[in-house]
Amino acid sequence: MKRKTKPWIRVMQYAILVIATIYAFYPVWFAILASGRLGDRLYTLNFLGMFIPTQWTFENYRVMLFERPFLTWLTNSLKVASITTIASLIVCTSAAFALSRFRFKGREFFLVFLLAISTFPGLLSLVAIAQLLTALGLYGKHLGLILAYTAGTIVFCTWNLKGYFDTIPVEMEESAMLDGCGPLQAFILIALPLARPALAVTAILAFMAGWGDFVFASVLVPAPDSLKLAVPALYALANSMSVPWGYFAAGAVIVIIPTIVVYLSMNRYFEGGLTLGGVKG
Amino acid sequence: MSAWMGRRKWITVSLFLLPTILAILVFNVYPILLNTYISFTNRNKFRPNPDCEVTLTGLLDPLCWPAFRENAPHGLGKPYVLQDPILANYDTLLGKLFQPEALLGLFLIVVVFVPLFGVNYFNKRQERKLDEKIAPGLLWLLGIILTIALFFILDVPKSIATLMDTGDFLAVVLRTVLFVALRVPLTFVLGLILAIILNLEDLKGKTFFRVVLFIPWGASSVAILLALVWQFLFRQQGTINQIITQFGGTGPIWLNNPILAFGVVVLADIWFSYPFFMVSILGALQSVPGELYEAAEVDGAGWWTQLMKITLPLIRPAVLPAAVLTSITAFQMFGTAYAITGGGPQRGAGTPGATEFVMVYAFKQIFQQQNYGRATAFAVLIFIMLFLATLYSLRVTKMTKGAYE
Repeated sequence: MKRKTKPWIRVMQYAILVIATIYAFYPVWFAILASGRLGDRLYTLNFLGMFIPTQWTFENYRVMLFERPFLTWLTNSLKVASITTIASLIVCTSAAFALSRFRFKGREFFLVFLLAISTFPGLLSLVAIAQLLTALGLYGKHLGLILAYTAGTIVFCTWNLKGYFDTIPVEMEESAMLDGCGPLQAFILIALPLARPALAVTAILAFMAGWGDFVFASVLVPAPDSLKLAVPALYALANSMSVPWGYFAAGAVIVIIPTIVVYLSMNRYFEGGLTLGGVKG
Repeated sequence: MSAWMGRRKWITVSLFLLPTILAILVFNVYPILLNTYISFTNRNKFRPNPDCEVTLTGLLDPLCWPAFRENAPHGLGKPYVLQDPILANYDTLLGKLFQPEALLGLFLIVVVFVPLFGVNYFNKRQERKLDEKIAPGLLWLLGIILTIALFFILDVPKSIATLMDTGDFLAVVLRTVLFVALRVPLTFVLGLILAIILNLEDLKGKTFFRVVLFIPWGASSVAILLALVWQFLFRQQGTINQIITQFGGTGPIWLNNPILAFGVVVLADIWFSYPFFMVSILGALQSVPGELYEAAEVDGAGWWTQLMKITLPLIRPAVLPAAVLTSITAFQMFGTAYAITGGGPQRGAGTPGATEFVMVYAFKQIFQQQNYGRATAFAVLIFIMLFLATLYSLRVTKMTKGAYE
């Protein structure tokens, strides 16, 4: 029993979708347009130029890639975010495995304690962390930033992975242990390969936490240029006195587009609801 | 797994958990302790240094620890000491709240909402009765009319103004609550509309729209850069004003007007967050059996009735956790407001601006004013609020349910 949709309802539906599409896409499109505009103008007085590329040049990209330390910033960001991902996966998978598989005193308390602790906003603990890193001699160094990011991802990583381990039947590990396998081997040889999808999602979210962060990076590694990360460096570029907008836009496009592509390719995992508690929304 | 017991089990568990526990202690628990301690001191720009002779300072401030003393910077300025009275920082933030006028204002605001709670309670009691029901919709209408009437009779705007004057804390928190109250429902409605349309079976080009509408979520992980783009759109010569000029009008200076700037921040933040709702609702809609709608149509139920009686109740369990989580993250929103308005526009020097939400305020107090004492006291108050909100949300969403078995 399929009723045909009335034409005017269909038109309304498409109208809503098209308006939403403009809303969703225009900011990104604006950045792309500005990145191809000559000179250091953010806007063009040509009204049409705000919507379609009336002029296009790769000059901004050339300057950003070869005359500015932008590639260094990108490398720094990639380095910090990758090491953060690996470190936090190592720390979190072992904790999540233990919390999922072993029954011990204080387990419930620990799980809720993790959630409770995470309600203290990261931004507000920044003073203490900055001081601690200063005392350790890690302030202004990538290692300090990596430590702070890793600690910041622990709660959602652990909860995410623990949730997934809970869905993997324990029988395989049990039989392996009857065959003389230790808990560490059961963890590495059996549980980890089974948890691959959850590991992938968690890894990407942990990576993005470091890749897109602004506050920690700008406070903990304020200078010099050669150590800065891409996002805070671009932000500083946009806020400097003589504003090279085209350069900022070109850099922003280089950072934004791959990020969006990664998210789009993860689309179906997110719809599975794997990420409860782990995503900002 | 009960293959091994006793001491060996404990050693294994500890080894697995050790890195996490260490990280949590150093980067979460310790900052909270130090933060709370600093909130009782007068630490600021002119008194940045610890006085290591004081026992607690020597114990908590890392710059005093013997192993680290060489690395510590020896800046100018005097050492900080405990405030006298000890709650002085908290007093400047919300001390005036405890004066009669402010308490009266608070009481009046609560009174305004009494009809709504009353209706809610009455409807719940009615559910058990089988006959002689008064239509819930009618009751809600009555409650809303009463609330609006009370709003004007009791002059709530004046009470709010009184409360805003009691100090930075309430001014900032009330503004943030208003932001959340606008942003979350609007995001939900937008996400719901788009999800329902995208869930239609016979819609052409669905995949394309799905991909494009998902873009802002990807962009939200580099939120601060996209927020700058939003700022560009609303500058004096930005896209929006150029469009207005094309139609012969003169656009306002968006970011200098408190109300408009607030609206721009809300609009931009909805952009970042609606895909999350859209995706959650799409997922939930797919589990609603199509037969229900067919049966409803046979019974002659219209589009609105179907939405209210079938769609919304059935997606509620999946969407409620998303809504609660979003509210908590919206309360802590930083990047959007900071990049677009920097917290402004301000009415006068020294007062928080129209879009200075909690995190923006904290950030500015710490890194621009270097008013550590007050900022940390603010942090403690916000922590208490968020902690209670999270506990409540865990109860509502039952997120930890099943986690302990």
